[in-house]
Amino acid sequence: MVEVGIKIGLSITQIAVVMGVVLLTVMFLTLAERKVIGWMQDRMGPMEVGPYGILQPIADGLKLFFKEDIVPAGANKFLFSLAPILALVPALIGFAVIPFGPNLTVEIFGVQFQPFVISDINIGILYILAFTSIGAYGIILGGWASNSKYSLLGGLRAAAQVISYELNVGLAIVGVILLAGSLSLVKITEAQSGWFWNWFIFAPPFPQLFAFVVYVISSVAETNRMPFDLPEAESELVAGFFTEYSGMRFAFFFLAEYANMILVSCIAATLFLGGWNAPAPFLQFHGSLANLAWASGVFWFTVKVYFFLFLFFWLRATLPRLRYDQLMRFGWKVMLPIALGNILITAIAAYLFPVGK
Amino acid sequence: MLNHFKTWIKTITFYEILVGMKATLMHLLHYKPITLQYPHEKRILPDSYRGMLALLRYDDGTEKCVGCDLCEAACPSRVIKVISAEVPDEPTKRFANEYYMDMTRCLFCGLCVQACPVDALGMTREYEWAVYDKRQLLLNKPQLLAIGDRAFPVREKKLELQHPNVAFFNVAFKHLPPKVS
Repeated sequence: MVEVGIKIGLSITQIAVVMGVVLLTVMFLTLAERKVIGWMQDRMGPMEVGPYGILQPIADGLKLFFKEDIVPAGANKFLFSLAPILALVPALIGFAVIPFGPNLTVEIFGVQFQPFVISDINIGILYILAFTSIGAYGIILGGWASNSKYSLLGGLRAAAQVISYELNVGLAIVGVILLAGSLSLVKITEAQSGWFWNWFIFAPPFPQLFAFVVYVISSVAETNRMPFDLPEAESELVAGFFTEYSGMRFAFFFLAEYANMILVSCIAATLFLGGWNAPAPFLQFHGSLANLAWASGVFWFTVKVYFFLFLFFWLRATLPRLRYDQLMRFGWKVMLPIALGNILITAIAAYLFPVGK
Repeated sequence: MLNHFKTWIKTITFYEILVGMKATLMHLLHYKPITLQYPHEKRILPDSYRGMLALLRYDDGTEKCVGCDLCEAACPSRVIKVISAEVPDEPTKRFANEYYMDMTRCLFCGLCVQACPVDALGMTREYEWAVYDKRQLLLNKPQLLAIGDRAFPVREKKLELQHPNVAFFNVAFKHLPPKVS
């Protein structure tokens, strides 16, 4: 009984820590995005709140918290309130299976405990794919329930876009799963240990470079970010599916978008860039410092995730929005055949040169 | 054939996108903002800047305005309203008894300044005139004189025996370019 209590307590602590880190990262990202894009466009970004504007996220949060919560006339109140939660929860719940650091098991009060992954389930990647699909419902329902033509158009676009590109994400991941022989994110990361050419983006027998490119592009599209931000195209649709939202409900959609960005970056780092593994064995703590190997693992994971987050900002500062037919053609006629071909070749290569298992 | 191959290679390697991304990255690395943090730092105004309008005085404190209504006639957007009157006991002299400017309509063309025969109007270099209430922009004579007082501390000298309706253009404002008629 005591053991179960300790287990639950540890799990809740772990969940609280991970959620705290994710929400802090979201806060930091909102500032970092505005700053980085500003710098790339010869502007300064926010400068007024605090020195160099570093307190801007707090000011934004306070503003959203105290804003009036408006439900438009004729809106479906139940779905209107449900949609932001449906968008946010799947984005946050995906972090349950992400391994943030080495696969250690420590014993606390006689309870086995993995400090760097909340739960290492053996269908981790399927679990994430399943839950991110639910996030699309939040967007569609939010667009429909607002009783506004802009929101409805944004929701419809989001539906079509998320479904087409989620397919590509799923198919791009299949190659990695074939090579790793497991759906568990911990096992997939462990299969990439050693030098950086063991990462699945470079790994023999067939480097997953094409799958990586397909995955990155599709995940940008799936999170509705520039240049695929058609659901919230502000020049055409005001703000797309969250046009009618204000206050905390808008903040939920906002949080969901950034949490999705982090989640997608974590998956990309885990599947293709070796997760917590350092590029070379000597770049992590070893020998007499082997007890601190977890610190370097967390460091390398963070570096990889932030590289992807920077890539998101970079793309946003560079590229204009795609037209809708271009988006669909690119998804179905370019990305999908590449992903399918990659699966075919990877399967043949993995059959002919089986990886040592 | 070779050109087709080159275009194809460029397409599949996202060459154009990479060029664009390199451009943005170079701007990030050689960060040189063109932003001016406006309320904290302000632009240097050009010499001929046309800002807020003002009524001027001679150095002895008497108003220059003779109430001739020429500014009202010259104004294209009917900003100015002059109600002139005779100076008591001096039937040859007139002055502006009331003088109103509706600055919500002013387009700062400077025609009233050019039209004034006695240089009683001036354009200051003030531009921060955003107000919460539009009615605060309907200025009367004391307000316009106060603007003139704070913007032009160096006043034109009033000559002895000068008929008030005779213009002595730009006597005191040596730092300003001469008036082009």
